[in-house]
Amino acid sequence: MRYKWLIGALGVALALMAALPLSVHVLARGIRGVESFAQAAESASFGVVWAINALVLLAFGLFIAQTGRETWRVLGTVALALLIGGLILLILSPQRAADAYVALLSGPLSRLNRWATWIDDAISLTLVALAIALVFKAKLFSLGAEGQIFLGALASGLVALFVEGLPTALHLSLAVGAGALVGLLWGLIPALLRAYLGANELVATLMLNPIAALIYGFVLERIRLPQSGIIASAFFPETALLPRLIPATRVTSAVLWALIAALAVWWLMTRTPFGYALRAMGANADFARYGGIRLERVIVGAMALSGLLSGLAGSYLALGIYQRLPLAVSSGLTFEAIVAALLARNNPLAVPAMALLYSYLRVGAPIMQNDAAVSLEIVRIIQALIILLFTAEGLLSLWERRRAVAAWKAS
Amino acid sequence: MEGILSGIFSATYLAAILRISTPLLLPSLAALISVKAGVINIGLEGIMLIAAFTGATVGGLLQNAFVGALAGLAAAVLTALVLAVFHLNLRGDLILGGIAINILGSAVTVALGYQLGGARAGGLSLPPISLPDLNLPFLRELPLIGETLHTAIGRQNLLTWIGLLSVFGVAFLLYRLPFGAHLRAVGENEQAAASVGIGVRRTRYAALLLSGLLAGLGGVYMSMGYLNSFSRDMTAGRGYIALVIPALGGYTPLGTLAAALLFSAFAALETRLGSFDVPSQLPQMIPYLATLIALTLYAWRRRAAA
Repeated sequence: MRYKWLIGALGVALALMAALPLSVHVLARGIRGVESFAQAAESASFGVVWAINALVLLAFGLFIAQTGRETWRVLGTVALALLIGGLILLILSPQRAADAYVALLSGPLSRLNRWATWIDDAISLTLVALAIALVFKAKLFSLGAEGQIFLGALASGLVALFVEGLPTALHLSLAVGAGALVGLLWGLIPALLRAYLGANELVATLMLNPIAALIYGFVLERIRLPQSGIIASAFFPETALLPRLIPATRVTSAVLWALIAALAVWWLMTRTPFGYALRAMGANADFARYGGIRLERVIVGAMALSGLLSGLAGSYLALGIYQRLPLAVSSGLTFEAIVAALLARNNPLAVPAMALLYSYLRVGAPIMQNDAAVSLEIVRIIQALIILLFTAEGLLSLWERRRAVAAWKAS
Repeated sequence: MEGILSGIFSATYLAAILRISTPLLLPSLAALISVKAGVINIGLEGIMLIAAFTGATVGGLLQNAFVGALAGLAAAVLTALVLAVFHLNLRGDLILGGIAINILGSAVTVALGYQLGGARAGGLSLPPISLPDLNLPFLRELPLIGETLHTAIGRQNLLTWIGLLSVFGVAFLLYRLPFGAHLRAVGENEQAAASVGIGVRRTRYAALLLSGLLAGLGGVYMSMGYLNSFSRDMTAGRGYIALVIPALGGYTPLGTLAAALLFSAFAALETRLGSFDVPSQLPQMIPYLATLIALTLYAWRRRAAA
C-alpha cells in the first residue's frame, strides 16, 4: 500500500478525536455540554485517560483492518450471543431484564473507577489471550495459562517481598523477570512431554494447573500475615510496584506491556522463521514435518513463550493490581482468554480489541448483578454461546447455502 | 506409626475409596467410550454439573429421588446432544465445544440457582434428598470376614453399585456387541469404517449420548449420594480428571476401573492424613502428580512400542 503511513496517521488522528468525548464521558460522568468538558479538563489524569482511550480505539481500528469482512461475522456472533443471553434473562426475570442489559452494556463507562477496572482487566486478558493464540495457532491445545499465572505471580511476589535494598527500577525489573521466567519454566514441562514423548498437552496442562495452585497455596500459608483474618501476604514495598498512572485507580504502566506484547507476538508469528514453522504446523502438521520443519522445536518454543506471557500476566496481577499475594490470583482467566483469542482468530494484532470487548462484558457483569439483581453468570453463558456460535462452521455454510439458494431463485 | 497405618488401611478406608471412586469412575467410563469412538468428550465436567443441579433441584422440589435422578440424566443426555449436534452436524471444533459446554454447565447452574433461590440468597435451599444406600445385612453372616466386608461394601449408595456394574456393561458393549465393534472401528479409522458401511456419524452420536448418560450418573451421584444438595462447581474438576483415567488404565474398561480405584485410594488418603501433621497441599497434590506421571509413562511406553 502506497499510502500506508498516511492511513496510519489518519487513524491515529481519528482515534485521538474520538477518544476525546469518550474520556470526557468517563471523567465527568456523561457529556452535558461545555461544563463537562471543562470539568474533565481540570482533572489531573485527563491526559492519561485520553491517551489510553485513543489506544483502545486504535486497537479496534487495527482489528477491523486486520479482520476485514470477517468483522461482521465477529460482531454478528457477539450480537447473537447477547441476544440469546437477553432472551434467557427475559425468561429468568422479566421485570429486570431491561435494566440489567442497560447496566451490563453501559456500566463500564459510567464512572472513572469502573472504566479503570475495564482497562486493568483488558491488560491481563490481552496477555493471556496472546499466550493462548500462540499455542492455538499451532493447533496445540495447551490450557496451562492458569498455573503459569499463579506461579508467575508467586515468583514476582517473592522477589518483591524478600529481595531488599535494590533501587526501584532494578527491583521491579527483577520481580517481573522472575515471574516471566517461572511462567516459561512451568510451560516447558508439558512442552517437553508433548514434544519428545507425545503426551497429550491438554491433559498435562490441566493436571499442572491444580498442582501450581497448590504450590502457591502452600507457600502463601507460610508467608501470610499471621494476625490478619484474610489469607494474603504483606503488601509489597514501594520499590517493587508498577507505577500507577491515574490516582485512585489501579491503571498502571502495564498498558504498554499489552501493546508491546501484541506487537512482539505479531512480529514473531509473521516475520520470523519460527513464526512460519508455527503457522505451518497449525495448518498441517504432517505436511510441515515433511517439509523439514522440526515440530519438536516449534512445540517447545510456542509453549515456552506462551508460558512466559502467562507468567507476565501473573506478574502484572501481583505487582500492579493486588500489590501483594492474594488467596487466588486468577479464577478462570484462561477460559475467558480462549474466547478473546478465538474471536481474534489467533491474530495477535486483533487480540487487544477482542480482549477489550470481552473485558467490557466481564466488568459489566458485576455492575449488572449489583444494579439489577441478575446473576452475573449470564455473561459466562454468553461466553459459552460465543464459542459455540463462532466455531460452528456448519452454521455459516447453512446460512450461505440459504443465501445462495435465494440468489439462484431470484435470478 | 502403626496407629497411622492401621487407621488408614481398614474397612472404613475401603468404604471411603468406593464412595470417592464413584463420581470418578462413571465419567471415566464416559470418557472411555467417547475416546474409543474418536470423539473425546471434553465437556464431562459441565454435563456432570448440569445433571447434579437438575437432579437435586427436581428431586428436592418433588421430594422424589428417582424422578430427580431421571431428570438429571435427561438433562445430561440433552447437554451431550448439544455437543453432538455442534460437532457432528455443524462441524464445530470438538475441543472448543467441550470447553464451551463446561463453561455453560458451571454458569447455567449457578445462574438458575441464583434466580430460583431469590435474588441475593445465592442458592436454592431445598429439603435435601438422596438416592438410597443399598443395605446388605446378610454380609454380616459370613464367617471371618463378614463384619469387615459389611463395613466396606454393606452400605454403599445405589449409584456406587451401578457404577461398578457399568464397568462390565461398557466392557460387554465394547467387546461383545456388534455396536461396540462399530464404535471402535469408527474411532480407529473413520474412512475404513465408512467404507464397510458403518454409519460414522450415527455411531458417534450414540457414543456421545452414551457418554453424556454415564457422566450424568456421576453428576447425579455428586448431589444425591456423595452429598445431598447442590453447590456451585461441586464436581471440582472430576470431569477433567476423568479424561485421564482411561489413559492411566490403558483404554480398557477394567483398566479404567483399576485406575479410578487407585486414584481414589490417593484421594481418600488425603482426608485421612488430614488429622495428622502434614501440610494439606501435599496429599492434595498426589492425584494430579500421579496422573501426570501415569500420562508420561503411558506416552513413553507407547513411544517405545512404536
